This record gives sequence, structure tokens and C-alpha cells, in this order.
Amino acid sequence: MSFELSRNIIIGQYIPGNTFVHRLDPRAKILVTLFLLFGISFTRSLIVSFVYLATMLVIVWSARVPLGFVLRPFVRGLPLILFFLGFSVLWLGWQEPAGIVFFQWGWIRITSNALLMAVLSLTRLISLLLLISLPTLTTPITQLTYGMESLLTPLGYVGLPVHDIAMIATISLRFVPILAEEMERVIKAQASRGGEIGALSWREPMQIGKAMLPLVVPLFVNAFRRAEEMAVAMEARCYVSGAGRTRFVQLHAHLIDYVVVVGMLCYVIAVWYGADLAFNAVLARFA
Amino acid sequence: MHALAGVNLTIERGEYVVILGHNGSGKSTLAQHLNTLLWPTQGAVWGKEWNTRDVKRTLDIRRTVGMVFQHPDNQIVATVVEEDVAFGPENLGIPREELLRRVDWSLEQVEMQAYRTRAPHQLSGGQKQRICIAGVLAMQPEVLVLDESTAMLDPQGRNEVLAIAHRLNREQGVTVVAVTHFMREAVDADRLIVMSEGRIVMDGPPRAIFQEREQLRQLHLDVPHVSALAAELHARFPGFPGNLLTVGEIVKEVKKWGAQYEVRNTQHEIRDTDFAAPDATRNTNH
Repeated sequence: MSFELSRNIIIGQYIPGNTFVHRLDPRAKILVTLFLLFGISFTRSLIVSFVYLATMLVIVWSARVPLGFVLRPFVRGLPLILFFLGFSVLWLGWQEPAGIVFFQWGWIRITSNALLMAVLSLTRLISLLLLISLPTLTTPITQLTYGMESLLTPLGYVGLPVHDIAMIATISLRFVPILAEEMERVIKAQASRGGEIGALSWREPMQIGKAMLPLVVPLFVNAFRRAEEMAVAMEARCYVSGAGRTRFVQLHAHLIDYVVVVGMLCYVIAVWYGADLAFNAVLARFA
Repeated sequence: MHALAGVNLTIERGEYVVILGHNGSGKSTLAQHLNTLLWPTQGAVWGKEWNTRDVKRTLDIRRTVGMVFQHPDNQIVATVVEEDVAFGPENLGIPREELLRRVDWSLEQVEMQAYRTRAPHQLSGGQKQRICIAGVLAMQPEVLVLDESTAMLDPQGRNEVLAIAHRLNREQGVTVVAVTHFMREAVDADRLIVMSEGRIVMDGPPRAIFQEREQLRQLHLDVPHVSALAAELHARFPGFPGNLLTVGEIVKEVKKWGAQYEVRNTQHEIRDTDFAAPDATRNTNH
């Protein structure tokens, strides 16, 4: 385990660029992400999920985001993912309809439908990973919070403290690198006094758990102290929640943003129905 | 037990005041009374014509008396420098055009324009503290309170911050109240207030206060090296001025006296140890 935590934190990592995806209004990006999220998550058709995977690859390519970088968490988690996939293939092996039975030995049965489900899960997982990484990779995080705030504004009329939520999100993001740095410092301090955290491998989960405790406690204590000081500092700068504030950052939606949002909505619906229709047509021919 | 007791203090417009004291002397508590972060249990604090107890005036007082704290990381609200500077005026509801102008102006005042789109965690301590000052300046305060704002900084960062505070005081007429436990920060002040156990024990120009070495020693405060040296010289050579504060002044005086002492050198051999102040080893570089 390395000590350089702050470098390994991917949350909110922004890759500067000037592509079409980068320039899109953050609100449009959030909406399109939601549409695609819905589409990818709820399809049960293999063809549709392949279409979405292709779509995501095209978007990632057009944003000039290195694919290897986005897929890094996936590659790192691959052993675990494969383990669960294998498990689910065995689990689904006795489910009907089974399709073609490839292999049977005792209680182990591998069927074509179980394999198809596994492939579906895998493509879905990759698509989702690409999808949720994209907004933060192509948009400065503050723009995203402002986008979120702006989208949630209607809910403010029914009493949701939209501005406060956005403020909380901004401050949390602001504290991510600070706390990572602090964690690093605490780990080093513990290690220099014989703490074990850096020396343990993942094969000893219990020991790691025990060694984590003296890290987490000082981290929390510090976080509370910081939060309190931050509250006083904000008050000193005349912060009064919500009312009457003006905005430094202003979002401007252009025609192209509307076009993209409506276009992607139509795309998701079309893929949803179109692919199913095509699939059924193909099935009907063979039946 | 009172954190502050019997404090009677008037700070004039345009003054550069340093409040000095040990940990627990009440200096920070006093500072936080200045912009209604704390209320006195007895007595009153007035900012301009406003009593700090008047809740309707809280925002007026806070925008007039800007405050910078010790830890820059715990004051920076936004994830981008310019957005953080804009935070104060945003809260005040300043119209956007004026807002943009103020952000530009404030960043210019602390010489941080080049960093306006950076993330705060990429900056040094001194730079972060300058951003905090800019954030306060954007509210266009008349008073700038630095509550131990240099305590966490390295010497270079400290000098940067102090230089900016002095320039704002000189050029923009901002009243500065700096709370610190660094003696040498008091040297350039117009007025020095020494606190101990919640009371003001000394109040006057630094030159006069650093003369009172015995009283300062009783308060466990060190006199700056230069003052100690000047006092030692004064004790040995009565004609030598004992109230010098800066290295420049000492050098000038010693040069002036050098000519006369060439004659007397034979009578009085000056050794290094003659000038070692008893507390000299405890201080850092000057």
C-alpha cells in the first residue's frame, strides 16, 4: 500500500479539454446521463446493451478521455467481478428456460442463457462505469454542483432547501483533498511509531480493520473541528442560508444544449423500442 | 472566571494595531468580539455607530469588519479560487457586474490574479491565506482583523501576508487589527496592545512598549532581538539610543558611533558576549 492517497482519488478528477462534450452545459450533461442511466439499467436485451456500450465508447472517444484511465477501477476490480460473474453463471444454471446446456457435472450446469446473462451484466457494468465517470471527467466539479442546483430549483418551491444542498455538496468536495492529505499524514505518523497499516497485505483483513481504527478516529475528530471552524468563518463572511444571494458563476444554456437533451431522450426511447422490435422480428423468423 | 475583564479600548480609523499576548491571554476572544462572532456578557462593543448586540446590524458590522482566521484551509469555501473570493459579496447580494469587478480588484490587491482558476489545495499556505484576505476584501471592509492569521505560515508566507496587510493599511486606508504572538509583527505597527489574563496591560507605540523590558519579561514575552541589542548598548554607552526597533536603525546608529569609538577602542574591548541578551537563544531569526 502506498502512502500517496491524494493521487489515487479519482472522485472529481477533471481532465481539461475543449471538446463538444466538455463545452456542453452541465445541466444538459446531467440530464443526458440520467437518460442513459435509465436506458442501460433497465434493458434486459443483450442487443440493446451492446448498442449502449457502443454509444458510450463513441462519447468517451469524442471527449478525448483516455479509455484506459476510465477503465482503471474496472481492471483493478476484475478478479472480484469475474468471481461474482462465475458465481452467477452457476447460480442461474438451473433456471428455466435454460437454452442450450453446454456442460453438466453433478450440481454444476452451464447453460447458454446463464452465459448470456453474464455477458449482459458485464457490458452493462462497463457502460455504467463509462457513463458515471464522464460528467466528472469532462466538467469542473463546481459546474456540476451549480448544474444540479439549477435543475433542482423547481423543488425549492415545495420546500426543498436546494441552495443548502448545493452548498453542502461544494464544501464536501472541497474537503476531499484536505481529508485525503490528513489521512496520509495520520498514516505516516502511525507508521513512524510502528503502526502496521502500510505493511499489511489484503490477505489479512482483520488486522487491516484493527489498524484502520486509530486512523479513522483522529480523522473524524479533525473533520469535526474543521467543520466548526468553517462554520464560524462562513458566518464571518456574512453567510445567511439561501435568501438574497447573487451568483458569481452563471450557467448559459444554448440551443445546442436543448438539442442534445431532446435528441438523447429520443435516442434512448428509440433504442428501447427499436432494438426490441428488431430482436422480436429476428426471433419470429427463426421460430 | 472571565475570558475578558475590564477591557476599555477604542481603535481609531486607519490605525494599524497589533494585539499581542500569550495563549489564553484573551486576545483572540477580544478579536472575535469585533465582528459579533462573540457578544460581551457585560458592557458593549460598538462598531462605528452600531452596537454589536443589535441583531439587525449584524451583517452591516460583519461586512465592515472583515476577519481572517488562523487556518486557511478551514476558511476557503469554494473549490476554485475566484469563486471563493466571490463568496462574501455573493452573500451580501451584490449585483453580478459589481461582483466581478470586486473579485478582480481583490485578487489584484493580494497579487493572486494568476491563480484565479486554481484549486485551493494546489496553493501554498501563504497563498491560501492571501486568498482568504482577498475574500474579505471583496466585501470592501473598513477594518481587517487578522486573528493569528500568520501563525500557521512559514516565514516567507508570513512576510507575504504582513506586506499585504501593511499595504492595504497605507494605500487603501484599511484599519488593521492583527492578533499575534510573534513579537516582530508588532515592530511595524502604529500601536501595540499587550494582553494578559483577559486584561489590557500595555497600550502604546511599539517603540515605547519595547522599552519596558522588565514588564514584558514578567509577562513571558520576548523583546525583539534588535530592541534587546539597542537596550544593551544603551546600558553600556548611555548616549546610544535604546529604543531602536529595526536592523536598519541599529546599523545606522552604529555607523554614526563607529567613528567616535575607534578612539575609545583601547579602553573598552567589545566582545560578542557583551551583547548576548539572556533570552536571545529562544527567538528565531530576525
